[in-house]
Amino acid sequence: MTVTRDIPLSPTTGEPVSVVARRNRLGVWLCIISDVTGVVALLIAYAYLWALNVNGAWAPPKDAFADPVTFWVVALGGIVTAALIWFGYRTVARGGRGVAILALAVLVVLATFILQIVQLSTFPFDIQDGGYASATFWLCIGAAFHLSLVLTLVIGVVGRTRAGLINAANPYHARLVAMYATWAAIAIFLGALFATTMTVSPNTQSPPFGEFQQVPASASASPAASASPAS
Amino acid sequence: MSTVDQRPLADPEQPEEPTNRPAPRDRFREWIARPYARRIVILTVILTLLIVPVAFLVLHFMNLSGGPASPVMYEIEKTMFVFTVVSAPLMAVTLAILLYSLVGWGRVKAKGLEPPMQESPAIRGNSTATVLWISATSVLAFFLVVWGITELATITAYSYGSTAADQQPNSQKAVVVNVTGQQWVWTFEYPDEQGITSPTLVVPVNRPVYFNVTSLDVVHNFWAVELGIKIDANPGAVTNTGVTPTKLGTFNIRCAELCGLHHAYMETTVKVVTPEEYQAWVREMGGKRMA
Amino acid sequence: MSTATVSIHEQADVPQPVQHGAPGGFVRHCNILTGIAAGLVLAVVTYFVGSLWLVPWGTTTANYVQVGNDALWAATFIAWVIGFMAGIGAFAGPIRWSLGRDLTHADAEYLAGKDLGRARYWKYTTDHKVVGLQYLVMALVLFGVGGLLAMMIRTELGVTWKEVFSPDFYNAIIGTHGIVMIIAMIIAVAGPLGNFILPIMIGARDMAFPRLNALSFWLLFAAVPPLLISLAMGGIRDGWSVYQPLSAQAPTGAIGYQVTIIVFAFSTGIAAVNLITTTVTMRARGMTWNRVPVFAIGIIASSIMGLIWFPMFQYSQVLALSDRAFGSSFFNPVNGGSVWLYENLFWLLGHPEVYVVVIPATAAMMEIAVVFMRKPLFSYKIAVAGFAGVVGISAIVWVHHMYMTGWAPAANYPFMLSTELISIPFGFLVLVLLGTIWRGKAWTSLPMMAVYVLLWNKVVGGITGVYLSDTPVDQYMHGSMFVVAHFHFMLMGAGLFGAMGAIVYWFPKMTARMFDERIGSIGFWTAFFGFQLTFMSMFVAGLQGQPRRVLQFDNAFNISNWLSTIGAYIIGIGMLIFLAAVITSWRSGVKAPANPWASTSLEWQTQTPVPLENFPVLPVVTSDPYDYGVPDPYDTASSKDQAKQTVGAR
Repeated sequence: MTVTRDIPLSPTTGEPVSVVARRNRLGVWLCIISDVTGVVALLIAYAYLWALNVNGAWAPPKDAFADPVTFWVVALGGIVTAALIWFGYRTVARGGRGVAILALAVLVVLATFILQIVQLSTFPFDIQDGGYASATFWLCIGAAFHLSLVLTLVIGVVGRTRAGLINAANPYHARLVAMYATWAAIAIFLGALFATTMTVSPNTQSPPFGEFQQVPASASASPAASASPAS
Repeated sequence: MSTVDQRPLADPEQPEEPTNRPAPRDRFREWIARPYARRIVILTVILTLLIVPVAFLVLHFMNLSGGPASPVMYEIEKTMFVFTVVSAPLMAVTLAILLYSLVGWGRVKAKGLEPPMQESPAIRGNSTATVLWISATSVLAFFLVVWGITELATITAYSYGSTAADQQPNSQKAVVVNVTGQQWVWTFEYPDEQGITSPTLVVPVNRPVYFNVTSLDVVHNFWAVELGIKIDANPGAVTNTGVTPTKLGTFNIRCAELCGLHHAYMETTVKVVTPEEYQAWVREMGGKRMA
Repeated sequence: MSTATVSIHEQADVPQPVQHGAPGGFVRHCNILTGIAAGLVLAVVTYFVGSLWLVPWGTTTANYVQVGNDALWAATFIAWVIGFMAGIGAFAGPIRWSLGRDLTHADAEYLAGKDLGRARYWKYTTDHKVVGLQYLVMALVLFGVGGLLAMMIRTELGVTWKEVFSPDFYNAIIGTHGIVMIIAMIIAVAGPLGNFILPIMIGARDMAFPRLNALSFWLLFAAVPPLLISLAMGGIRDGWSVYQPLSAQAPTGAIGYQVTIIVFAFSTGIAAVNLITTTVTMRARGMTWNRVPVFAIGIIASSIMGLIWFPMFQYSQVLALSDRAFGSSFFNPVNGGSVWLYENLFWLLGHPEVYVVVIPATAAMMEIAVVFMRKPLFSYKIAVAGFAGVVGISAIVWVHHMYMTGWAPAANYPFMLSTELISIPFGFLVLVLLGTIWRGKAWTSLPMMAVYVLLWNKVVGGITGVYLSDTPVDQYMHGSMFVVAHFHFMLMGAGLFGAMGAIVYWFPKMTARMFDERIGSIGFWTAFFGFQLTFMSMFVAGLQGQPRRVLQFDNAFNISNWLSTIGAYIIGIGMLIFLAAVITSWRSGVKAPANPWASTSLEWQTQTPVPLENFPVLPVVTSDPYDYGVPDPYDTASSKDQAKQTVGAR
């Protein structure tokens, strides 16, 4: 059986589109790796301040922690978005019309983004109200940033799918966006996990700022103990 | 562009050919008989002998202002000395090869824009040299790690990080000093002496001193130079260190962490005095709060 | 290739992009001037709109941060960056993508600077050779600024009898010197040579993502002005490490530092993604992983570290900026923040960053040693193992900057172990260089001399680094001039002198002119001897107990500081001579032949000046680029079986 192979070529570089797609996939993976470090930095900051409770100023005034439900709704929105984009990509790659599914993804991510902004503006505390307030604000700003990026990318993907640029022969851009949306969903989920499970600090006896506790020299025993300001 | 290499690859199916490698001792004899090898070895020895005295120079510079004034500082200087001595051969062999390479193995120059195209031996790897180098650097690194960990444990014990004050070899009661850094002064408070405070540190000789350190504004670093102790003064946290001064005299305390405008001037002195003088000083300061 | 797995498509299914108007579209109207204009306009508009709204909104927090004012300046600096990028046409690509108006081949060629002449250097040009030269000029400018600041520092420290500068201005110049030089060193090798040389070296027509390449350079260009403007607005008075909460006290201009780092981190990350993807996916046919030039491996190693760890630094500055602009309290202990959090986030990049600088320079030295010795690389595998080891261990050494912070005294033991272990992979790199020099006839050209200089400086810097990695010694040395001398030996002695050698080596390919080695060597050696004098004296000052970042000190330190200052001026003179050699050679040097060093590496096989897509016909690689030399006369044991000898290395 002879088959005439007509491999679609990239108009810019003249290579087969699958070759370009592999290259782009590596690029997106690397971007995600870099983004992971950034998100981890935010999570470290949150957990660190939570564990230390410096100057007893972790909790917001009147212990008014944020409502956990909103975090999980936003996280769910991120996960649904990622799932929809994957589904849309699969549909397009199989030759179907995925525009409707991808458009639905735009609506979901837009709604999630708006919810995130609403949550940010209705927190029962201000960003200046101590460690928890600052760290939670930035977890949510990070989530909003990820959502806005995904939103922009999905809108582009919908437009390109409608124009026929993303099609069964060359569906790869939808896949790249799906990859990124998946990571964004994971990042938002981790943020929600931290912000809802780590509220009251475990360190209840942090020393007041600028004062020495009267500890006899013999009592301060191990180097590990001097690591925490409670010693 | 390099051309296609048409040499046949070794056939893994065939048994390995005997290599007729001579015994290591004979190989060493053959190697050392080469003129360049002999000269590099001699050069390495000479350079090592030249570099080792640097260790004494290091001690000289570290002691210019009157140290070591405590066992901690003594241990630090011992470490500096040992590290310098053990790394001297490594530095010497590198330098020897670099120097010998420029004079012993020949040099060429370009004529105009023509590359000289000299001929050098195609040495691709040498397992003996590789194994020797990696073992030497690894042994050195592990020696330094073991030495460092032992020394750290020693000075930590001296500084009361891990040994409580009443279990110290000389079990006198420790002097506790609360050190507060703020822009750009140090304040020393003696909680066990009715909380007297002083802008300079006065401590008795041969008695452990225990420091609680904090800061009221930015990060400072409490550095008692000749006593060999150093710890950050962090706002919002208390850090600890300690030392037993063993030498009478007046020494330096500096701030070793950039703390703003007058960081350079954030220095004071530590006076190590006899127990009698210390008691007299405490009596003199007692009741008069200077804060 | 079985036909069963190949999917069959009609060519008609793939819509080809349509040419709208002249090639290039919107970008035709953009250049650096429109970028600067747009950036300034947006910045000024933001400033005035913001001063109506942000300043009244702002408050003064518990630690006297002027929230509204700082937010205003942060917004203004960010507006400058966004406006500049819009004005130079950086957003045209993403917008065209989302509108579905993909580049045609003519568009892509216009963007790569085809038929644009000199104008392409002032535009958002995607050709990697243009980006490489832009990076080279940028690095030279940054070294000039940083060097000038260094001269001011040494002048202050040399004049021991009075204050030349006010303490706040002095603190501003040490901070700015530090960060400008760090940025310059990070881009010094990976920028010009990674962009210009690396794609040719691996036989590619361009980088993997040409538009990201242009983006990474112009982001860097946009990032620098806020940093330099901040010097006029009070400056960064808290060192290049901007420890918190001291940074919160700095004048508003220091906001520029945070904006610069945040933008520069994007630039570095994008460049790293591009360099790694290029080397992994764009190599010429036949260039298997054991034939990739070691320089490309070094660039990858450095890019991996930058890619993974730079966001830590970036986010530390995002949070620090938030502390100032919004009054949050990540690092403000009164309100629940922690200074140790900042120190950890900062040093998580702060230490790998040193290797980001040193590794590309070392890898470049390996390429150079091979060519000027006409010997194969001593061992490709050990070199790669060395890079891999450094990349691996670099992730777990950062706490050695924090031995004396009291953060976790128990952690000093494991981090002392990891820090001393990293000297072993570094030893691999020294071994490869020494082995390549071993018994070779040296062509004592300037690039080759840089190899010798790098090795010497690296050994001095490495051994003093081993002292500092030891906690008891660090208890004396931390925060002293000894540390300053040590990292200058690493960053300047190995990094900068290596970069100078590498730039001289690839100069004929990049500029199509021969480098004037006579004048260049005078500058190089003057700088080298000045360097030894400056920093050897500084070691002495550190041993005596001089803290760093001070402008006045005990008279005991006078002599070493005077010597240090004399040395610094000698470096300055040497660097100026070297710069003169660069400029005169670039303008009017002898026309360079395609392969002046008789190298077998791919970048020297294409013509000079390099044509737009690098190679008329893409090369096919059949061996590694280190096939030099004659059979070893001493190698009697196996000289009759040459094939066996080289099998392992091929």
